[in-house]
Amino acid sequence: MSGTACVCQEIECREIEIDYNQLDKIIRDDYGGNKETMIMMMQAIQRVYRFLPEAALKYLSQVIDVPLTKIYEVATFYASFSLEPKGKHILTICTGTACHLRGSGGMVRHIAERMGIEPGKTTQDLKLTLETVNCVGACAVAPVAVMDEKYYPKATIATLNDFMDRLDAE
Amino acid sequence: MRVLNIILNGKAVTAREGQTILELAQENGVFIPTLCHSPALEPAAMCRLCTVQVIEGGRAKFVTACNFPLRRDAEIRTDSPEVRHGRKLIIELLMARCPSSPELQRLAVEYEADLTRFSSLNDDCVVCGLCTRACEAVTGKTLSLAGRGTAIHVSTAFAKISDFCIGCGACVQICPVQKISMEDVDGERHILLHGKIVSQVKLPRCKSCGKYFGPVIDLEKVMDRMGEHLIPPPNADTCPECSRHNLAVKLGKRYFEQYGVFREEGQADAG
Ligand code: SF4
Ligand code: FES
Ligand code: FES
Repeated sequence: MSGTACVCQEIECREIEIDYNQLDKIIRDDYGGNKETMIMMMQAIQRVYRFLPEAALKYLSQVIDVPLTKIYEVATFYASFSLEPKGKHILTICTGTACHLRGSGGMVRHIAERMGIEPGKTTQDLKLTLETVNCVGACAVAPVAVMDEKYYPKATIATLNDFMDRLDAE
Repeated sequence: MRVLNIILNGKAVTAREGQTILELAQENGVFIPTLCHSPALEPAAMCRLCTVQVIEGGRAKFVTACNFPLRRDAEIRTDSPEVRHGRKLIIELLMARCPSSPELQRLAVEYEADLTRFSSLNDDCVVCGLCTRACEAVTGKTLSLAGRGTAIHVSTAFAKISDFCIGCGACVQICPVQKISMEDVDGERHILLHGKIVSQVKLPRCKSCGKYFGPVIDLEKVMDRMGEHLIPPPNADTCPECSRHNLAVKLGKRYFEQYGVFREEGQADAG
């Protein structure tokens, strides 16, 4: 990741510095500045900042000439977009039917308690975002946890604790 | 253009290809209740109230009349027991969201809706999306729908006071449940959504009488859209009343110069 997003470790400071050259590169060079590819541009912006900063969306709105409200509409419609800063690591626990039956609810509660966050939220130090999802399509190996896009079948509280220990050590 | 043979509530009628069921019904004097439809805007089929039954090629299905384009010969039932049953449920759901709408209250009585069935959300917005579509149509760029599913709501971008509102009031006028209001206070026009200010637009002051006036439509942009880029808009700094008055006086003077009979305001009739 290019060091443009200032994801400060300071609890109070969540200022994000926007690199407009980089934004220009995404919007104009990578996607031709064409409003039809707006969603892909938003995905690319989210990859850089791990969320969609307001200032970046304002700039996007000006460059591709789409009203900011429309962009906001899209950003709030898709669950994969976030308007709030996300953690450096993302832990997703499946709470679909099969995983639920195999006790994923307890795993969610355990992590929520250990990290002091509600599901869907991010720790103050922006290290971890805890998310839940309804079925990732791997019910046979339930319960499933996904840590930074890597899938862990038959996850247990011990597996999760391992992650958290590693995070704490970081 | 292809002409389609349609059976509308048992009566044979003809439709134009591509015409919506709602248009056809209206042409034939058949009433279908609607909440989110305006003939001036693109249909969005948000409220589902206009749901009717269509039988095309032997298959029956429920569709929303306001945005369903007719492409084949079909039979349409707008008031069958099945349709009424479904509509009753839709009314019950809408009433839970917005119990204060007189239109819905009337429908609830007509369809004998059970108003205890769903717990009331009392949000007082039916999420018809008319205001957002109207705003977009006037290039207001202020209101849009945000969120999805049960969390869907009307909002400005980032729920902040908008910089783009032109204060036209189209949203206020079109809202079927009067949830958007507008007030002019101290030279500013405020648009209020659910009682909360979502935009503040400066009103211009009339050069002649000194009164604030609106709407504050950016006339330069209007001139642009009319293809008269950079041409200064006429009378932009005079309120409509003064503009009319000034023009009347001007025309009157010209008339006087030609025919010699002109009275300033208040002067006695010279006979
Ligand atoms: S008054 Fe403002 S918010 Fe309402 S339709 Fe006009 S531009 Fe949009
Ligand atoms: S329920 Fe978890 S993978 Fe299907
Ligand atoms: S009028 Fe057709 S869905 Fe609302």
